[in-house]
Amino acid sequence: MTFPDPVQLAIPAFIIAMMLEMFAIRAGVKGQYEWRDTGTSLAMGFGNTVAAILVGGSIVASMHWLAQFSLFEIPLVWWVVPLCFVAEDFTYYWFHRTAHRVRWFWASHIIHHSSQHYNLSTALRQTWTGWLSLSFIFRLPLVVLGFPVEMILFCAGLNLVYQFFIHTEVVGKLPFGLEHILNTPSHHRVHHGTNPQYLDQNYGGVFIIWDRLFGTFTPEIEPPRYGIIHNLATFNPLWVAAHEWIGIARDAVRARSPAGLVTALFGPPGAVTGETSDSIRAAARPFVPPIVSAASPAE
Amino acid sequence: MIWTSLLGIVTLIGLAWALGFRAKARLVSAETAAAEASSAIPGFDAYEAAVSDDTRAALVAARDGRVALVRSFGDRFVVRLLRNAESRLEGETLHLRLLEPGFPPAALSLGHQAARWAARL
Repeated sequence: MTFPDPVQLAIPAFIIAMMLEMFAIRAGVKGQYEWRDTGTSLAMGFGNTVAAILVGGSIVASMHWLAQFSLFEIPLVWWVVPLCFVAEDFTYYWFHRTAHRVRWFWASHIIHHSSQHYNLSTALRQTWTGWLSLSFIFRLPLVVLGFPVEMILFCAGLNLVYQFFIHTEVVGKLPFGLEHILNTPSHHRVHHGTNPQYLDQNYGGVFIIWDRLFGTFTPEIEPPRYGIIHNLATFNPLWVAAHEWIGIARDAVRARSPAGLVTALFGPPGAVTGETSDSIRAAARPFVPPIVSAASPAE
Repeated sequence: MIWTSLLGIVTLIGLAWALGFRAKARLVSAETAAAEASSAIPGFDAYEAAVSDDTRAALVAARDGRVALVRSFGDRFVVRLLRNAESRLEGETLHLRLLEPGFPPAALSLGHQAARWAARL
């Protein structure tokens, strides 16, 4: 039994879907694009592919090496694929949750959140440095359990393809109770929101049940404000890729104690400046349109 | 596959441009700038704002004395609290350089308000 690479197969569908989304938005459907933002997102996606070509082989080799120590010998047959798919989505939940709560992993994942837009191109805004933050370790328990490496990678690819299609404002809420089970465009819009109540919520990949089980689910109520706490002021892909790593290096150099160093490297994002998601939520209050006293533009 | 991807990227960027997704954000009023600052910074209670003549940037003051810079970025805005920012007044133009790496310097033409805003930074 052999497995194709779902992401590579889906690239033409990605391109067609983005084109259709652009036309739909231009025709009046909800959503927004900005051509330079789209360019940055696509450049990040391309760089992610190049990084996978450069380092993916060694990661897969390490998974095969680990497979010799697996606890069980799970057969490479079709009926195991659904089990592997659910198990892989479970590990994705924990990877994703960690990627938001531990700065070392956030330094790679922040790239995906660095657009102030939420459209299909945002889905492709992916990290170039996942290998550096060792994101693949979250899949290793599946190898240890005995799932075949090829099957794990296939399921991970399917997961990513599914997630591409939920990065859109074109779709409202899904019918037939699907919002209870699946991660949907609505649930994932919340995940990309910087509204205080939306920060660090809805980590699920395909299934939202993990968030419901582990207390990280928030429904979409008010319109999300997309992006990150300190939105980037550049479209430069190199800066997008490296900015949080540079921030980590700067804070590590400035650390005045071992505890400060650990916080800079592995603390929650924003811990060094006191702007964690928890502290932002605590400081938030219901938004009231401000009273402004000075007229402008300047007279 | 790489060449196909590159062709797809160029096509999509070109399509986005051709379909007119190239709006530039403008701060049409002090209220707009204040609302941007208040929604971007939790707990920021805006009460005064001054928008640059080019409508691309603004300064917003909160009741607690903090001052935020709001500047356009594509069709969106970015907001930063001004902490330890270098400021320089040239006529009626206020030049700001934040200590944050990668954040471009800003120049706000604020008319007769420039000196007053410079003094509070």
